[in-house]
Amino acid sequence: MLAAQVLINALVLGCLYACIAIGFSLVWGVLNVINLIHGSFVVLGAYLAWGLYQSIGLSPWYALPVAAVLFFGLGYAVQRLLLNRVITAPVLVTLTLTFGLDLILNNAMLYFFKADYRKLILVPPMGSVSVLGVVVPVDRLMATALALALTFILYLILRRTRVGRAIIAVRLDRDAAVLMGVDVRNIYAVAFGLGAALAGTAGVLMALIFPISPLTSDGYLGKAFVVCVLGGLGSVSGALVGGLFLALIEGVGTTFLGPDHATTLSFVLLIVFLIVRPQGLLGRKGFE
Amino acid sequence: MAGFRRWTIGTVALVAAALSAGSAWAQDVVRIGAPLPLTGPLAPEAIKQQQGYNLWAELANKAGGISIGGKKYKVEIVYSDYQSNTPRAVQATEQLITQEKVDLMFGPFGSGAAKAASSVSERYKMPTIAASASSVQVYDQGYKYLFGTFTPNDTLTTPLTELIKAKAPDVKRIAILARNDLFPLAIAQEMEQSAKKNGLDVAYFEKYAIGTLDHSATLSQIKSLAPQWIFVTGYINDLLLVRKQMVDQQIKAAVVTMIAGPAYQEFIDGAGPSAENVTSASWWHPAEQYESKDIFGSTANFVKLFREKYKSEPDYGQASAAVSGALFQLALERAGSLDKEKVREALATMDVVTFFGPIKFGPTGQVNSLEPPVFQIQNKKPVVLFPAPIKQGELKLGVD
Repeated sequence: MLAAQVLINALVLGCLYACIAIGFSLVWGVLNVINLIHGSFVVLGAYLAWGLYQSIGLSPWYALPVAAVLFFGLGYAVQRLLLNRVITAPVLVTLTLTFGLDLILNNAMLYFFKADYRKLILVPPMGSVSVLGVVVPVDRLMATALALALTFILYLILRRTRVGRAIIAVRLDRDAAVLMGVDVRNIYAVAFGLGAALAGTAGVLMALIFPISPLTSDGYLGKAFVVCVLGGLGSVSGALVGGLFLALIEGVGTTFLGPDHATTLSFVLLIVFLIVRPQGLLGRKGFE
Repeated sequence: MAGFRRWTIGTVALVAAALSAGSAWAQDVVRIGAPLPLTGPLAPEAIKQQQGYNLWAELANKAGGISIGGKKYKVEIVYSDYQSNTPRAVQATEQLITQEKVDLMFGPFGSGAAKAASSVSERYKMPTIAASASSVQVYDQGYKYLFGTFTPNDTLTTPLTELIKAKAPDVKRIAILARNDLFPLAIAQEMEQSAKKNGLDVAYFEKYAIGTLDHSATLSQIKSLAPQWIFVTGYINDLLLVRKQMVDQQIKAAVVTMIAGPAYQEFIDGAGPSAENVTSASWWHPAEQYESKDIFGSTANFVKLFREKYKSEPDYGQASAAVSGALFQLALERAGSLDKEKVREALATMDVVTFFGPIKFGPTGQVNSLEPPVFQIQNKKPVVLFPAPIKQGELKLGVD
């Protein structure tokens, strides 16, 4: 029974991790930008959900599309106005820029929202469902569904739409894409906007599950990073596979070695992957 | 141009006048150094401590200052932000002593940083009061100039265990989960000892890493052991997360104790209905009723002044900071001079009732006269269960 519970815990947690990581993976894979603001975007999304619920009673489910639109706009603007200016520079330059932007955004949140931990408490609470003695919280189930849906939608966008194909084309060969008449600056901004929208929507869900504070952004960023390395960069399904894999390792590690060593185990795994299989479980360089 | 020059000269003259006035003032000021983590992850705790110091300093200044040897001295607190970085707390302490030339020092936040910084203040023979360091390891270094307002960790866990044993004899098995951090781990270890001493079966004792995002696997394991008492240590974010995941997994127990979150209003707000019946212990509680010899006069007056200034309820962190200031004031008045040896002597021999409780420092400098309260969240309010003189209600069993 314990084994079944641990397995289910890991499955839903894995999808939660995928939710956090998917936008990060897109931006890293397509733009080759290690986006260090990602964690703060997730937290900002959580504050948006919390604020809308506290002020006008808007349910987080309706906050999801609001967050998606707002964060797309925010991400588009950040890329268009700032990142595009250095996008052709070595990866360290974009990394430094996003690091600086993260400091600004995070400290702005500290200033406006304070470091107090808040919690979005739904009335009535969503509770948990219990099947054959195995308990699953409903909010995490929703997050699981959302992670699957987002993965699928992103896959469709990249595969089926003109913009999506253009994103892939730019990733594969920037110069050829320019010659084919693709507006590269616009495509970069769209890709970054999508990444931000995914972070914002993930944040709305995180508001239901985790305490909200600007100080939690590093935790989200760290998980996104590990998930991407495990799953493979730029691969949409990689985030899902990486998330599930990480959660399973942590769950099993916690049960057999104690919670203190679960994190150690996941980072040891990260190092092993970086050495042995740097492209991750599903990563194929340059392809979708 | 001439206008500009006249303006400049005027400004310079004004500034010079202000500066000389300032230096005339400076002779009648007691300056106390306060290194605090005002930014970074520990900022919420530091701000509480700062509120306590400021409340005391304002009150002392409003009364005309501290009278030392028949002369009134204003209080000035010199803050230094060490950005939640312990090595920087040590630097900040040294800087406050050597460059700012403060007269006295408050210790930095928490046991770890207070211990690290104490070696510096000891070297300069600087009387220091640590307002938020409870672990015995801070005080057992043989230092003469370090004093602390928190009793050792076991003074929290022992009354708690005895209370549970007396009121809930069916509680036999306990699971302990601790944040792997100096204070949370130390208090969990005290709890383990105290549980064993009282014949409880410690079915689970594990640590979780700082920054853990998910406790589901840990909690599933605890659930499978069916303990009647679940004891979790950490800070507000950890405890809110653990409490939420306990509800998610439908974990129920007769007693759930969390240290150190429930003492804060933030925890009660954040946990909502799930805060109900969670027990905790801390070094002070606003329900205490002491008529005191310090500048605040009584616990009730301290609470009233605090509410007026900050529009919220004080907790033990803010109270301990305020009492640290009040203790310096008492020591200075008794010493009748700013001489560090005399102030140290006055602190070491202090035996006084404050709004924080009776204060007497033991041979190591750590206070040993307080009786920390055990409390439980009932109807969204902390209700004191122990000690008897300030008891507000009975222990309620069942947390679900």
